[in-house]
Amino acid sequence: MIVEAGAFALILALGLSIVQVALSVAGRLRRSAALAGAGEGAALAAFIAVATAFAALMHAFVVSDFSVANVAANSHTEKPLLYRVAGTWGSHEGSMLLWCLALTGFGAAAAGLGRTLPRGIRSMTVATQGVLGSVFLAYTVFASNPLLRVIAPPVEGRSLNPLLQDPALAVHPPFLYAGYVGMSVVFSLAVAALIEGRIDAAWSRWVRPWALAAWSLLTVGITLGAFWAYYELGWGGWWFWDPVENASFMPWLIATALLHSAVVTEKRGALAGWTVFLALAAFTFSMLGAFLVRSGVLTSVHAFAVDPTRGVLLLIILGVTSGLAFTLFAWRAPSLAQGGLFAPISRESALVLNNILLAAATMTVLLGTLYPLIREAMTGESISVGPPFFSLTFVPFMAALLVLVPAGPLLAWKRGDARGVVQRLWVAVLIAAGVALLTVALVSPRKALGAVGVGLGGWLVAGAVTEIVERTRAFRVPAAETWRRMTGLPRGAWGMTLAHLGLGVFVMGAVFETAWKVEAAEALQQGGALNIGAYHVTLDGVRPVAGPNYDADQATMTVTRDGRPICQVKPERRLYTAGGQTTSEVGICYRGASHIYLVLGERRDGGAATAWLVRAYWNPWASLIFLGPVIMALGGLVSLSDRRLRMGVGRRREQPA
Amino acid sequence: MLLFWAVAGVLAAAAAGLILMRAAGASAEAGVADPAPALYRRQLTEIDELAERGLMGDTERRSAHAEAARRLLAAAEAPVQAWNADPGARRLVLLAAIVVPTLALGLYLKLGTPGMADQPYAQRLAGWQHSDLGALQAPEIAAVLRQATAQRPNEAEGFRLLGLAESASQNPIAAVRALRRAAALAPQRADIWLMLGQAEVAEAGGKVDADAAAAFRRRLVLQPGDPAARYFLAGAKSDAGDRPGAIADLTALAADLPAADPRRTQVQAAISRLEGKPVVTADPQQLAMIQGMVAGLAARLETRPDDPAGWVRLVRAYAVLGDTTKRDAAHASARARYAKAPQILDQLDEAARTEPKP
Repeated sequence: MIVEAGAFALILALGLSIVQVALSVAGRLRRSAALAGAGEGAALAAFIAVATAFAALMHAFVVSDFSVANVAANSHTEKPLLYRVAGTWGSHEGSMLLWCLALTGFGAAAAGLGRTLPRGIRSMTVATQGVLGSVFLAYTVFASNPLLRVIAPPVEGRSLNPLLQDPALAVHPPFLYAGYVGMSVVFSLAVAALIEGRIDAAWSRWVRPWALAAWSLLTVGITLGAFWAYYELGWGGWWFWDPVENASFMPWLIATALLHSAVVTEKRGALAGWTVFLALAAFTFSMLGAFLVRSGVLTSVHAFAVDPTRGVLLLIILGVTSGLAFTLFAWRAPSLAQGGLFAPISRESALVLNNILLAAATMTVLLGTLYPLIREAMTGESISVGPPFFSLTFVPFMAALLVLVPAGPLLAWKRGDARGVVQRLWVAVLIAAGVALLTVALVSPRKALGAVGVGLGGWLVAGAVTEIVERTRAFRVPAAETWRRMTGLPRGAWGMTLAHLGLGVFVMGAVFETAWKVEAAEALQQGGALNIGAYHVTLDGVRPVAGPNYDADQATMTVTRDGRPICQVKPERRLYTAGGQTTSEVGICYRGASHIYLVLGERRDGGAATAWLVRAYWNPWASLIFLGPVIMALGGLVSLSDRRLRMGVGRRREQPA
Repeated sequence: MLLFWAVAGVLAAAAAGLILMRAAGASAEAGVADPAPALYRRQLTEIDELAERGLMGDTERRSAHAEAARRLLAAAEAPVQAWNADPGARRLVLLAAIVVPTLALGLYLKLGTPGMADQPYAQRLAGWQHSDLGALQAPEIAAVLRQATAQRPNEAEGFRLLGLAESASQNPIAAVRALRRAAALAPQRADIWLMLGQAEVAEAGGKVDADAAAAFRRRLVLQPGDPAARYFLAGAKSDAGDRPGAIADLTALAADLPAADPRRTQVQAAISRLEGKPVVTADPQQLAMIQGMVAGLAARLETRPDDPAGWVRLVRAYAVLGDTTKRDAAHASARARYAKAPQILDQLDEAARTEPKP
């Protein structure tokens, strides 16, 4: 009866979301605290109800209850427990339920934590969040119900795509969805502020923690996805400009722009209209991602089963919710107050430029993602837009932005002093140039563009450090004074420094790996060897091993350098019994930040003895690609812990003053 | 049913409770002032704090201070529209708290499957274990045997039976897996090697691959001259491109078989096909079975197309059956799907080149 209780809970959640809207709107109209409060109660209850439905579905997956259609289609009794749990969000229906869980979760958080908000904005935020919840819950209940039953359950389930049976991918969707859906609060706050006509510095500060939290979660989610693609797909790459990757990247870019423009609105009251626009755009891009993955217009490892009807429904949801919000924006934006003025060289101008470049970069990604789809729909001709397009469009915008990053935080508000900034950054310039020159001198083959890119990463890292040195006057005042200043720095400042530092680390890794990776592939017999860069890889042998739900051929490969043993790895080629798919389990030998990445390919039976296709990659500095974003997300969290953003704290501090 | 009503009741009560509690709490706080002025006042103190610690220049401090003060003034002077406790709303709130769960229950009774019990796998498996084998279907027998072999992992016979049940459940990969275990446990049993070889052939979509050939060779060692093993090994030769060798082996096999043996016609048909002559007969029953399996695979790929190995098997199976139209269609569609994965394309091309089988 657990499944049926979950099915009831899901429908109850829909009802609660609808009444959440009604009560909040009625409360706002009558200025009735009781009604608005009841709306908040409904938001909390809706979350509990969705959580119950989610728990029921998860239980069905754990006990392999194949009378639930979704479990039968996506699980298998031999699957390890972790992947049975992860199967809950491994399908279209289940992931929609996860989406609803995050949506009502953020709705409940907004209702529960929003006590520092003015009543009007608060009730309208809860109402908007309720509208989003109602729409997506209605979609889930009527068009994509994960708790539907089958009368004659099959003996076995059809199992989850084995590529998705991976620890990183088990946790990737929850982070990604929390990030995507976290933007919904920002969206709701923007709608509420437009309705109330209150878009000012205070509103911007209310938005910032939600945007920061969502951005950090999205950063972690995207990084986990990239890391999974790196070691699970066995192609040696970590980003393919796949439309679904782009779909997660666009809201991230917009959220990054939003975080920066919100600072201007908060400190100077300027750019209010633009900040609201970004707040609406961030969740719109999240919904676009949800649509792209489920519409069946894409062929991708991420794409769920093709179902045009559901795709059209999601497109309608996307069009109506965003369309209404942007119409509201167009109507109210002209009445927004002008903020403070600023000179062409100032922190504000730098942040405006940051926003222009980020927005332009987002547009190139949007174009590269949608153009092939639109063209295929119009002419039936399928074209592929790949890395060359993005290298020519996205990369120049980003490179321009990266050059500016270290200068921004050193510029004063209102009117900056360009000469002073240059003076303060000259050490960083020297370090960056040094890094680039060293790269040219030491790394072979020589690649000028690659060296410039690595230098750019060094520029970001050195710039971030310079910023802290400047703020604490390190090396110019006594150490104790520097320490006092360091501990006095607001967490938000530390968060920014960490985020910029992480970006630099990422750029260095990404450029170095892309420019200097080396590939080799050869069919090796037992005892055979191949060379990859300075390393020598020997295939010692291949033996069969049995996993819980797969049979694998496990290779033992030894890596040596100049005759000295470096490491031994055991890549596998797995055959999943349930679906008959094969996957590779990559063997990675870590050398500092660099990886020797080994893949066991298919068996070649022709010829004298059995041979195996072995692919080897030398991926220099690859760890930095994943470490950088982790530092960035950490920066987001540190910034989020700033007491100035902590809700409720301010009020308590206010009383003694 | 009791559990359902308990969960539904608790949920409905919790929802109603939360709505009523928050309504009452908010009523009590109706008079709280707008938080914006407080926030601006806090901004002012922050600016001072930063300046005191030397983290903000004097000019910057002055202008920031002036701006924040202007905002504070504006916020403090903004007309405040008071909210009221609205005791009259209580009835409305109570109504909502009762009506929503009731309507939700009504909708559930229409959309859900009221009264349908959970069916966890362990419970169903226990049911099959205690029922009459004859009443069970092949996949159910396979499930019971899987459980049994897990408990007695050293008995070859269990795995052999499991292999049979998996074959009958149209699950060639699982059949191969089980029979490999059986063969490893009882390497002296010639019957298991033959079954394993045939299962490997079925798994490879009709191709006698290296794994299958190895199994048939073991069978020949244990049972010298065995016609079935020789037949399949000749197939392996033709798959490797050695057509004359295959014909020679099959001709020798046909000569060794007694004239009355029905298998002789099958061997003759294979020879004719290899020689490019029209085929006289083929076993229609076996053909129908293979075609059924291929159709099943095609249908599965239709619904879950992201399965490179499945596409390779399908292309190879059509090639083996000699159905060039379907082979080319499947080949083209799979090539388009995996255009970016060269190693899958290689496998697909190789599968498409497979020779048709007798």
